[in-house]
Amino acid sequence: MRSLRRLFAAMAAGLLLGGNAHAQTIGFIYVGPEKDYGYNTSHDLGRQFVASQFKGVKTLHVENVPETAEVERVMERMVRSGATIIFATSYGYLDYAIALGKKYPKVAFLHAGGLKTSSNVGTYWANSDDAMYLAGMAAGSVTRSGRLGFIAAFPIPQVIRSINAFTLGAQAMNPKATTTVVWTGGWLQPAKEAEATNSLIDSGVDVIGEQVDSPITIAQTAEKRGAYVVGKDVNVARFAPKAYLTGASWNWGPMMARLVTEIKNGTWKPSHVRGDMKDGSVVLDPFGPAVPKAAQQTILERKQAILDGKFVVWAGPMTGQDGKALLAAGKPMDMEMLESMDFFVRGVVGSIK
Amino acid sequence: MDGLDALGAFAISALRSATPLLLVMLGECLTQRTGVINLGVEGQMLVGAMVGYGATAASGNPWLGLAAGCAAGCALPSVHGLLVGGARANQFGSGLSVWMLGFGLSALLGSSLVGRQIAALPEIRIEALDGVPFLGPLVAGLTPTVLIALALVPVVGWWLYRTRTGLHWRATGEVPEAARSAGLSPARIRLNAILVGGLLSGFGGAALAVDYTRTWAEGMSAGRGLVAVGLVIVARWNPWLTLPAALLFGGAEALSLRLQAAGVTVSAHLLHTLPYLASIAVLTLTYVRSRDAGTPAALKAVMDR
Amino acid sequence: MSEASRPRAWVALSQPLVCGGAVLLLCGAFFLAIGREPLSLLWLIAVSAFGDGYALSETLVKTAPILLCALATALPARVGLISVGAEGQLYFGALLGTGFVLMAFELPGYVLLPGMLVTAALAGAAWSAACAGLRAGLGVNETITTLLLNYVAALLVTWVVFGPWKDPLSQGWPATRDFPDAARLPTFFDSRVHLGLWLAIGGALALHVLMRRSRWGLELDVIRSNPRAAQGAGLNFGRHVMITMAIGGALAGIAGIIETSNIQGRLQSNISFGAGFSGFLVAWLARNDFLRIIPLSLLVGALLASGDGLQMLAGVPSSVSLVVQALLFVGVLLVNGWYASRRS
Repeated sequence: MRSLRRLFAAMAAGLLLGGNAHAQTIGFIYVGPEKDYGYNTSHDLGRQFVASQFKGVKTLHVENVPETAEVERVMERMVRSGATIIFATSYGYLDYAIALGKKYPKVAFLHAGGLKTSSNVGTYWANSDDAMYLAGMAAGSVTRSGRLGFIAAFPIPQVIRSINAFTLGAQAMNPKATTTVVWTGGWLQPAKEAEATNSLIDSGVDVIGEQVDSPITIAQTAEKRGAYVVGKDVNVARFAPKAYLTGASWNWGPMMARLVTEIKNGTWKPSHVRGDMKDGSVVLDPFGPAVPKAAQQTILERKQAILDGKFVVWAGPMTGQDGKALLAAGKPMDMEMLESMDFFVRGVVGSIK
Repeated sequence: MDGLDALGAFAISALRSATPLLLVMLGECLTQRTGVINLGVEGQMLVGAMVGYGATAASGNPWLGLAAGCAAGCALPSVHGLLVGGARANQFGSGLSVWMLGFGLSALLGSSLVGRQIAALPEIRIEALDGVPFLGPLVAGLTPTVLIALALVPVVGWWLYRTRTGLHWRATGEVPEAARSAGLSPARIRLNAILVGGLLSGFGGAALAVDYTRTWAEGMSAGRGLVAVGLVIVARWNPWLTLPAALLFGGAEALSLRLQAAGVTVSAHLLHTLPYLASIAVLTLTYVRSRDAGTPAALKAVMDR
Repeated sequence: MSEASRPRAWVALSQPLVCGGAVLLLCGAFFLAIGREPLSLLWLIAVSAFGDGYALSETLVKTAPILLCALATALPARVGLISVGAEGQLYFGALLGTGFVLMAFELPGYVLLPGMLVTAALAGAAWSAACAGLRAGLGVNETITTLLLNYVAALLVTWVVFGPWKDPLSQGWPATRDFPDAARLPTFFDSRVHLGLWLAIGGALALHVLMRRSRWGLELDVIRSNPRAAQGAGLNFGRHVMITMAIGGALAGIAGIIETSNIQGRLQSNISFGAGFSGFLVAWLARNDFLRIIPLSLLVGALLASGDGLQMLAGVPSSVSLVVQALLFVGVLLVNGWYASRRS
C-alpha cells in the first residue's frame, strides 16, 4: 500500500516537473511575497538570473514562509522533490538550514547572512553597510535640521547595522546629526510606514532612511511632504523623483550563479561569502537632484577609498548610544560583533529592544 | 513643532489612521443592525484596495479607482449573502470564508500590480490656514477620503434614525417577526445591508490603497477589518459613536508611532499594544455604565446560538 | 430499520460525500479560471498532504494545535459564547510555559515537562478567564475582548524574545535559548507527531461524552437554548462562563507550549501558524460538535500542510492555497445549508 502511494506521489511530481530526471533542481525560499518590489523580489530576480544562466536547471520557489520550523518543513519537501541546492534567502532560516543539512549531507544549502556554517551549509550576503554609510553621507549633506529618521521592521542585526552605518555616514558630513528610529513591527505594513513617515516629519526630521520589505510607501509619503528619503533593496527613484537621494540596492544574480557553478564543479567549500560594491552585489544608486554636487564628489571619493580598502566603515573610534567607547581608534570590528550587532552608535535615538 | 501645532499634527494623524476603520465600521454597523454579522469585511477591504489601486493605475483617475473599489467591495459579500440568506449558513463561518476568499483573490490578482505608480487624489489646500496653530497642520494633512468618511458619519446616523428605510432596517434587527408581518422582507433587507457594508468596506480599502499609502501589498489592511467589526460593539451599534471609537483606536496607533518618533525608549512592541488595551478599557467603562445596551435582538440571537 | 431512520442514515452518509464533491467542483473551477489543469493540481494537494509517511506526519503535526484550539472555541460556544481568543491563549500559554522552562532549566524531565504543561494550561486559562470575568461580571461582549487580547498576547511574546528573554548566544536573532530535551513530549514513528495529538483527540472524545451523558453537558445545553429557564432552575450563568472559558483557554495554552517546545524548540514570534484562527473556523464549521471537529481539524491541517507543496511543484503563488481553503469552507457551508433546508 505504501509503495503504491509512493508511486503515485512520484508520478504526480514527475508529471509536473516535466519528467526530466537529470535536470538539476535548485530551490529558493522567500520570507515574504515574491512580488513585493523589495527584498524578496531582489532574490527572485537572482533566481531568474540563475535559471537563465544554466541550461537544464529547474528552479522551485516558495514564498511567504515564516522564519520558524515551517521553513525546515518546506526545505525538507524541496529536497524530497529533488532539489540539490537550496537558497534560504532570509536571515532567520539559518538554524533550520543547519539542522536539515545534517539530515541531507548531499544537498548544498546557501543561507543569506549569518555566521554559522557546516559541511554543507554556507552563507552568502552582500555587505550593504558600506553603501548605507555612503547614503548616510548624502543624507547628512542634505539635512537642514540635522535630524534624520529611520523606519524599520524589527531590531535584528542586519537592520541595526544599516541604521548604524547610515548614522556614521551622516555624522561624517554633519557631526551633530542624529537618527530617530521608529519600528513598525512588520516587514510589509504600508499604513504604518506612511504614518511613521508623517510622524517623523512632523517632529522635525527631514531625511528618512528605511529597511522594510519595500521602500515605495515611505518614498512616496516623503515626496508628498517635501522631505528626503534614502532607499534600500530596490531603487525607487521613479516613485520619488525629488525626494530620493540615493540608496543601497541588491544584485544577487551573479553571486548566486557563481556559487551554483562552484557547486556543480565540485569546488564549493562552505564559507561566508560576502559580496560588496566591488563585485557588484550591492549597488549605490545614482544620486537624486537634491544632493549637492560638492557632496556627491566627496561621497564618490569616499566610495573609492572603501573599494580600495583604504577606508573601513566598521572600525574605531566608535562610541555607543550611551556614550561609552565601543572600539578604540583604528581597531577594526571583528566579524562576530558585526554579524550579531545589538547596539546603537552615538546619535541614534530610539530603543533597540 | 511647538505644542499646538504638534497637537494638530497628531489629530490629523489619528484621523488618517482612523479613516479606513471608520468606513468599515459604518458599513458593519448597518449590517449588524439588521441582525447579520459579517466577519468578512477584511477580505472586502483588500478586494476594494486591490481593485481600486488597479483601476487607478489603468485609468489614471483616482476617483474612478475609488468607485471601482466600492463596486468590488460590494461584489464579494454577495457570497456571504448567498450563504447566510440562501443556505442558512453559520454567519461566522461564512464571514471568515469571505475573508479568506478576499485575501487570497486580492493577493493572487494583485501581484502584478505591485510597483506601479498611480496618480494621486487632489490635495486639499486652504492657504488662509497655513500658519494658524493647530488648524494649520490639521488641515494640511487632510485628504479627500478623510473628509468623505467624516461626512458619512452624520449621513449614516441620520439615515438610520430618521428615515423610513432606516426604521425598517432597525426593525429587522430588533423585531424581525413583527417586521415580517408588517410586510417587510427581512431576508432582502439583510442582503442589502450586507451589500452596503461591502460597499463601505471596499471604499475603506480603496481609501487605504489609493489615497493614504498609494501602494498595493497583499494583506495590507493588517487585520483592521476584523478590529472594526469588534469596534462596532464599542460604538454600541450607534453610527454617531463610530467616530469616537475609530479615533480611539486610530489615535492610539498614531500615538505609539509618535512616541517612538519623539525618542521615547519604551519597547516598541509594548507601545503597539496601546490601541488594543485602550479599546478594551473604554469598552469596559461603557459596560459599567449600562449593561448590554443596544444589542439588536436578532444579532443577539446569532451570537447566542 | 424504521421508515424514519432510513432517510436519516442516507443523509448522514451522503452529506460528507456531497460536501467533498462540491468542494472539488469549486476548486476545479477555480483552477481552470487561473489557467491550470484542475485534476493534476487537486491530486498534487492530496499527495502533498497524504502522499507518503512524511507528508502524513506533517499533516498530523498541524492537526494537533488546530484541534486543541477548535476545542477551545467550541466549549464556550456550548454556553452561547463566541470566543475568538484561542490564538491569544495559545501565545500566552507559550509565554508563561517558556518562563517556567527558563527558570527550571536544570530540573529533571519528570518535573520539567508536567510543570511546563501545567504552567501553560494555567496561563491560557487565565488569559481566557480575564475576558470571561468581564463577560460574567459586567456583560462585556467576549468576542471583542478575546479578539483584541489576541494581538496583545502576540506582542508580549515579541517583546520578551527581543528583550528580556533573548538568548545571548543567538547572534542577535530574537529567540529564547533552545529548550532542553527533557521539556519535549514524546514523539512517534520517528516523525514530529507527538503525544499532544493523542491528548487532543482524547480531549475531544472526552468532551463529546461529557456533553452527551453528564449533568454538566445538560446544564450547558439548557443555558444556551433557554437562558430564562436556566435561571429559573438555579443554574449560574456566570459560573459556567468562567469554567468553559477557562478550560478552553487551558487547552489552547497547552497547544501553544507544545508548538514552542516540540516543534519550534524555543520561543520566538510567529510560534503559531494561525492555529487559533483555523481552530475557530473548524469549530464553527463543525457546528461545535466534538466528534465532527476531529476530521475537520485533520482536513484543515492537511490543507495548510500541503500549501508549500502546491507552490513548489505547481509553481503557483501562496495565495492559491488560501483560496482553496476558502473554497473548502464555502463548499461545506453551501452543502450543509442545502441539507438543512431540506430537513425543515
